[in-house]
Amino acid sequence: MQLKRLKIANFRSIRQADIDLGPVTILIGTNNAGKSAILEAIRIALTRRWGQRGTGFTEYDVHLCDGRPDPKVGDPVVIEVELQEEAANEWPEDLHGELEDIIQLDPMSGRASIIMRVSCSWDAAEESFVPRWEFLNVDRNPLAGRGARAVNLQEFFQFLPVFYLEALRDVADEFSSRSQFWGKLLRTVQIPEPLEQKSKRIFDLLNRRLLGADPLLANLATGLSHISRVAAADVPGEADLRLLPLNTWDILSKAEVIYQTEGDKPWLPLARHGQGVQSLSIMFLFKAFVELILKDLYRPESSAVLALEEPETHLHPQAARSLWRHISELPGQKIVTTHSPYFLQHVPFRDIRVVRVGKDGTTVGSLPRQFRAPVPYIPQLDAIVAASAGLITYDRGLNELVLSGSLPQKQYRQLLVAYGDRPDRQAIHAALRKAFDTSQEFISDAELEQLETFARRIRGEIFFACRWLLVEGPSDYHLVHGIAKGLGYDLDEHGVSVIDFQNNGSPEIFAVLARALGYPWLAVVDGDAAGLDYIARIAARSFSADEIARRTYSLPAGHLEQQLVADGLQPELKAILISFGNAAAASFDDATLIATLENDKIGYAAVLAKQCAENPVLAQRMSAPFRNAILSLRGLT
Amino acid sequence: MTDSALSVAMSELTEAQAVAVAWRDGPMFVLAGPGSGKTRVLTTRVAKLLADTPDRSFRVLALTFTNKAADEMSGRVTALVPEQERRALVGTFHSFCMQMLQQHGSHIGINPDFAIYSLDVDRQEILRDAIKQAGLAADDIRLLSTIDKLKSRLVQPSGSARYFRDPSDGKRVEQVYTAYEDALTRANALDFGSLIAQAHRLVTSFHGIAVRYRKTYAYWMFDEFQDTTDGQYQLIRALAGEDFKNVFAVADDDQIIYQWNGASYQQIQRFRADFSPQELQLPTNYRCPPAIVAAANHLVVHNIQRTTAKQPLEAGKTSLRYPNEQHIRVLRYSTDEVEAASIAEGISKIDRARWGEVTVLARTRYLLEKLQAALTRKQVSAVISQRRDDFRSPQFLWLAAVLRQALRPLDRRALEILTGAFNRWFGTDTRVDLIITATELTERSLLDEWAVAVKAALSENPGAIALVDLAAKFAKEPTRFRSFIEAVLTRIPAQDDESSDIAEDRAAWSDLVRSIGKTLGRDAPLEQFLQELAIRSKEAPVGKNTVTLMTIHGAKGKEFDHVYVVGLAEDILPSFQSLKAGENSPEMEEERRNCFVAITRAREWLCLSYADSYRGWGKQPSRFLREMGVDLPVTPAG
Repeated sequence: MQLKRLKIANFRSIRQADIDLGPVTILIGTNNAGKSAILEAIRIALTRRWGQRGTGFTEYDVHLCDGRPDPKVGDPVVIEVELQEEAANEWPEDLHGELEDIIQLDPMSGRASIIMRVSCSWDAAEESFVPRWEFLNVDRNPLAGRGARAVNLQEFFQFLPVFYLEALRDVADEFSSRSQFWGKLLRTVQIPEPLEQKSKRIFDLLNRRLLGADPLLANLATGLSHISRVAAADVPGEADLRLLPLNTWDILSKAEVIYQTEGDKPWLPLARHGQGVQSLSIMFLFKAFVELILKDLYRPESSAVLALEEPETHLHPQAARSLWRHISELPGQKIVTTHSPYFLQHVPFRDIRVVRVGKDGTTVGSLPRQFRAPVPYIPQLDAIVAASAGLITYDRGLNELVLSGSLPQKQYRQLLVAYGDRPDRQAIHAALRKAFDTSQEFISDAELEQLETFARRIRGEIFFACRWLLVEGPSDYHLVHGIAKGLGYDLDEHGVSVIDFQNNGSPEIFAVLARALGYPWLAVVDGDAAGLDYIARIAARSFSADEIARRTYSLPAGHLEQQLVADGLQPELKAILISFGNAAAASFDDATLIATLENDKIGYAAVLAKQCAENPVLAQRMSAPFRNAILSLRGLT
Repeated sequence: MTDSALSVAMSELTEAQAVAVAWRDGPMFVLAGPGSGKTRVLTTRVAKLLADTPDRSFRVLALTFTNKAADEMSGRVTALVPEQERRALVGTFHSFCMQMLQQHGSHIGINPDFAIYSLDVDRQEILRDAIKQAGLAADDIRLLSTIDKLKSRLVQPSGSARYFRDPSDGKRVEQVYTAYEDALTRANALDFGSLIAQAHRLVTSFHGIAVRYRKTYAYWMFDEFQDTTDGQYQLIRALAGEDFKNVFAVADDDQIIYQWNGASYQQIQRFRADFSPQELQLPTNYRCPPAIVAAANHLVVHNIQRTTAKQPLEAGKTSLRYPNEQHIRVLRYSTDEVEAASIAEGISKIDRARWGEVTVLARTRYLLEKLQAALTRKQVSAVISQRRDDFRSPQFLWLAAVLRQALRPLDRRALEILTGAFNRWFGTDTRVDLIITATELTERSLLDEWAVAVKAALSENPGAIALVDLAAKFAKEPTRFRSFIEAVLTRIPAQDDESSDIAEDRAAWSDLVRSIGKTLGRDAPLEQFLQELAIRSKEAPVGKNTVTLMTIHGAKGKEFDHVYVVGLAEDILPSFQSLKAGENSPEMEEERRNCFVAITRAREWLCLSYADSYRGWGKQPSRFLREMGVDLPVTPAG
């Protein structure tokens, strides 16, 4: 059983967010974007311990903003989790049986789903923030009857235990006898009674011997016996010195992991190792915990949810890079935040969620295979669904229309018409519109695979950028960096990633990726046939003419070298060639100059870029499309 | 612990009962006579199925006909297998359907928090509004019973016209039915008939639902199967589909007394045809003395509509309080007046401590009222036990209506009830229409406006004002309904001067709260509390040392030490209608079964009586007396 979707409202930094979750989900985003809030939301939603502090919500959990200065007034905090089977009876039979009363059905396919909502608002009568857990039906109304009984929650939580590993992980805490994994593991250790008794006898004997070995120890024990006269009123007590453990639990609770990094290094306790080893060890401890005792502590059908903050902390880039594989192999469902491009390098695109705070609340960019519209079922859908060859389906377990690709205009119209005569059509049309629009962002598996192949090198980096600037090749790459610096807008400092798309795939895929994940982007292409074709390919991915006009720049004089020459940069270019040892360059005509430059694109461009960076006047003389593009990057949305 | 509780229960079973209990897979039909221990068989089987499969998660479904019977059965199952209790769903058809609709009703547009309209007055109100809104004729209000009949046959509004011979009649009914159902939907409400009809609609519209129920509930049991209505049977069929066969029905075709409500021998025959069950008979009667068993056997063989191979009852009761010749008494009186007076006289001579074990049964309520008056004259406390759809005292009517109003602030019907009840309680004359008009101006809620209006009228009554304040405060925080109820209960007077309504309602209330708590847990939210309240009878539990008077229909499934059956005369039992229908009519057979049910309620002693005249008309002794083979007195007594 896995969380499939999470909806959050008015919680901490998040006003509104809607996140699809997979077996592994990687959350990235700037500090304070709300990544940890998402993990916390899951933790709070899936753990409730009656009467135990630290569960539920406090006033600091309520999202505050200009329109809402007082946490006690306004809409409630709401966290909704959805779980759904991929196919009927995917979940174990016992789980079905135990959770029967809260299960909702796709009444056609028989797929089960569970929708749980935690909400919380100020209760004036109780004078506290009162959380309320409830299970919902497919229309998101609270279940009544048996489905509303409190006992369901305990059962539900048993099947879906959640574990949280914070960014600041401390080996001393995590390997203490009271910790969530280590402590529980130790407590399940069973020492046979005879061995326990025998150990105790030996400890006692040794203890007496040791005490007897030096009179000082014996005298010390006698001296301490006076404690009892003071502490316990009338009853005479006794104090003794214990040099050895009292029992086997005493031993077990002090058990510690020792670790040897290489064959000839000494064995050392974990805490004596570096931070990276410590950090890793905790993750493997979790793995051992789940594999060894989760099913005993919870239920045989339980599957863990691990909320993991910044697993890469303290790790060498190489280690961070291989970390993804280890994490994906951890048992259960993993939801991970990261700030590491190295870590991200091997994460499949579809597992990435880009969390951002915008003026309309938190947005979570992703590359879903499906797009969903919460609209009611009507019989007229059947024909549209049947004719769509699998593109459109209706999920009656969640009451949502599901698009498994970009929705063509024609079918979109048909859907609008199908709901046309309903009194609530406005809301429905809005939902359809949204699904239609977002479905245009669909990127197929084939395209993503292509990206995996070409763009692995840059993908870690570009996802941590604020904006993307697409250019054709490496010479443009160098040049825009130099020009930008010369113009006083250092691209690195401003978090702009320059993507030379010819080496990494195709321009349209980056444009679509940027749109889907919410990265503002611009493209500068050559003014030749190839460049025009690039723009046409981008436009073909459902970008409006306005948007193409706003986001794409082309060099009017043709390709880069033609443009540089047209811009009157012959003296500078010739000087560069001469500095490369090409003395003849001084007398080149334009055509020869262009041809020569084309043969050594990267070389001259790097030098020219450097000159631009150091010389604002030169930068100002560079071609207008470059300069304009760079200037528009500021404040670009 | 539990193993032993169950094994003790198992060891106490007779051989035939044990066979039924041990039945595992496949369809089974148990013909169980009165007093044959069928409840024990059912509960022990539920417990055994669960105990045998401690590691499985499937559930067992057991449906019966009254909430009381369900509460009792589930109590017994819990006692036998406490740790498996969660896996047993013991309920009534209606509560089962309610749960199904709460959980899955959204697929047919039903919200989980629907209200249940169990009162005819409420339903008429809804229909009246619906008719008005749809612009239909005002006197169409009388079509409510027609609508109920259609519903009980699971006919949905759309297309219902074709069930009428006259197309214009049909069209009209369809319009009214449609308007009525739309109004219920708008009010987010269901009536009793809808529970079954909508559950059936849900199951038949969505294949997946039935599949799930078959999987989740691996074994189904039906108590009193003979009383299943056509609609209920169709629901069972739809749920079972073609392949599900783990159905276990317990029935007695000699106890079908709800024919007028759709129960019929045909249902039993359909069950046999549809499921081809193994059959088992439990003919041994452990309840009645041998003379009564013999009389019951003599009587019922005159029926044709029953299982051909049915074995006669066997007397299995071992310890008898009275000698054999005293087990049946037949008394004849000159008039119904004398009959009532004499029976009352007789009862008054029984030890007061045994009155709780005495019942008087009659075919109609009319005779019971006569008896009650006669008993009252003899200072014998007696109640006519009957399902009550609502409370009687204004105090409890008000309490229930305020709860409903708080949950549904726009519910005008609740406002009407609470206003009327409060007016009766404190002699105020607050008017609902004025309150409603006022809310349009003040934009207050209905309840707040009522509070303002009623407080203006209550100048000097701190007790009443305190109640109004309680209600107004509660309406702002309806989740705290339990403390509101507590507060109101302390303010309801213990006794009323004129009637026992308050005391009865209070007893009923605490009984209901206990029973609902058992079903839902003690922290169930208000809407569910009200749903459960709606489907339960508001009848007070019979007090100690009180004689119970019941119609035979009400006595089904019950037993008493001393049973009086009065009015055993032609035109009474058998009824005038059945005589008109003819000697061998189904109606006459039903009357005979009524008589059969009545006499088999007795654990120790049975008194049959009749008078030579009722309401001034001369009547012959009931043919059933003759059929039972009892001797009739030559002259009337008294």
